[in-house]
Amino acid sequence: MSIERLKSPVTGVVWKATAQAGAMLDEGTTVLLIESMKMEIPVDMPRKGKLLELLVREGEAVCEGQPVAEIE
Amino acid sequence: MTKTPPGELELRRAAARAMGGDEAVAKWHAKGRLTARERIAAFVDADSFQEFGMLAGKGNYADDGTLKNFTPSNCVMGRGETNQRPLMVVADDFTLRGGSSESSVAEKWIYAERMAHEFRMPLVRFVDSVGGSVKILEQSGRTKIPGYTLWPSTAMMGTIPVASIAFGSCVGLGAVRVIGAHFSVMVKNQAQVFAAGPPVVKQGLGHEVSKEDLGGVELCTQVSGVVNNAAEDEKDALRQAQRFLSYLPASVWELPPRVVSTDDPKRCDAKLNHAIPEDRRKPFAARGIAESICDMNSLFEIAPKFGASLRTYLARLDGYAVGLMINDPMVMGGALTHAAAQKMERFVDLCDTFHLPIVNLVDQPGVMIGLDAERAGTLLAAARAGAAIEQTSVPWVSVIMRRAFGVAGSMQGPWNGPSGTSLNHRFAWPTARWGSIPIEGGVAAAYKREIEEASDPNERRMELEQYYQRLASPYRTAEAFGVVDIIEPAETRMLLCRWVKDAVRLLPSQLGQKRRTLR
Repeated sequence: MSIERLKSPVTGVVWKATAQAGAMLDEGTTVLLIESMKMEIPVDMPRKGKLLELLVREGEAVCEGQPVAEIE
Repeated sequence: MTKTPPGELELRRAAARAMGGDEAVAKWHAKGRLTARERIAAFVDADSFQEFGMLAGKGNYADDGTLKNFTPSNCVMGRGETNQRPLMVVADDFTLRGGSSESSVAEKWIYAERMAHEFRMPLVRFVDSVGGSVKILEQSGRTKIPGYTLWPSTAMMGTIPVASIAFGSCVGLGAVRVIGAHFSVMVKNQAQVFAAGPPVVKQGLGHEVSKEDLGGVELCTQVSGVVNNAAEDEKDALRQAQRFLSYLPASVWELPPRVVSTDDPKRCDAKLNHAIPEDRRKPFAARGIAESICDMNSLFEIAPKFGASLRTYLARLDGYAVGLMINDPMVMGGALTHAAAQKMERFVDLCDTFHLPIVNLVDQPGVMIGLDAERAGTLLAAARAGAAIEQTSVPWVSVIMRRAFGVAGSMQGPWNGPSGTSLNHRFAWPTARWGSIPIEGGVAAAYKREIEEASDPNERRMELEQYYQRLASPYRTAEAFGVVDIIEPAETRMLLCRWVKDAVRLLPSQLGQKRRTLR
């Protein structure tokens, strides 16, 4: 299994982590919500896999393209 | 008068058909590529291609003047038809000197473009050219000032549809022939489009960068937006160009063709009534809404990966071709980013030029804010997009699905139009909210002191927000006729299919070239 980093699609603030490190998640499951332009933008699993680590904390400011989670 | 020796015509034609020769063609096929002639054959209807300039090239003659051999031009062009609709097609042949202009006989490809322009029919370019070569100097014995006389490259953008496919590395003029089009598509892992390739970049800037990083699909269709769409393979690229042209008229002097639709114009999709989440912070699936409203399978998306907070589709309503825009809150919250504004300006110009009535499905939080956005000049791009909207004379309708805030929120449709009196024909769903600024931030700013001094600041802020939310009900705007009507989302298709029937009646009187002022 290859390790992949999920990137934030937007500049904003991490609103909520909706999954925990170590969890096996299906494709399309939301890992994080990023608040941007008053919207909650989901960062979803691009495929089925294990969430290894969240690289950001709730309330942290993130830039577009910044890695926010590591999955396997 | 000298008599043409029998068989010479066939000999020369055979040489043209052979292109770079058996070996070069076999090598080309081994890379999984189609030749210029195969691409044309795959694009046009059977038996519709009439080649022009087949005999252009370079003859090699013996001392007595007899032909020894003949190398054709590496440009193949002519008229053909797709779905019985005539067009001009001009294709680079890479098997002859890498499609370089060195052996193209420039007059030939320019003639193809002039003919499309003059005969008012679409032009399709299959670009696969490494650009110029220093060897041209040796051939001509002199250098030339760059440029081409009689190439109507800009004029024809206002008269005929131009579609370009990048099949390989397209550099310099080749790149301009790709991007100087109403629709451009490039083949993944095979095409690159740039001003200059890695060797020139290395020499000029000292940077080492790969071809794919410098001008591959990701950069061109997602980052810079110089090319609209990516194609999985060559056949996909050909299909996309055909599809694009199917919505457009042959020229600005004709109407877009209507197709027979089997989809009921009165079809109501109850799912639409729940398409917008009650929680205004939750995004929704924009494409699903567009699909539900338009004729089944009629959406063709332009530039899906660039400025994707705004989605732009060619689509059909009851068989009539329209341009459809919809904000996508999943991308940058749906904000009008620099990229989205550029995309909007181009799309609006495209629709206005070719008489496609415009449908705007709005959920617009505003022009993108923040340091990056300001540095990029997002406001200027937004103002240009707004000016493009004002300059349209093609019929418009907008449906505000949710947010319409600020400068970008005002850009649902023309307020005055070129006539100075155009209707701003707009509807809204019950979920709509609009204003100069959103209530959440607006209350915090206007009642700063009152909120700070309250015993429970948070509760006071929420009270005030709720009060203003009630005032912001779209029904209050409807009472003042600030919106034509508030409709049930499920009725949207029916409304738009009736609208388009009225809208297309205006188009015959708008035929011809559109005039636009500075923006």
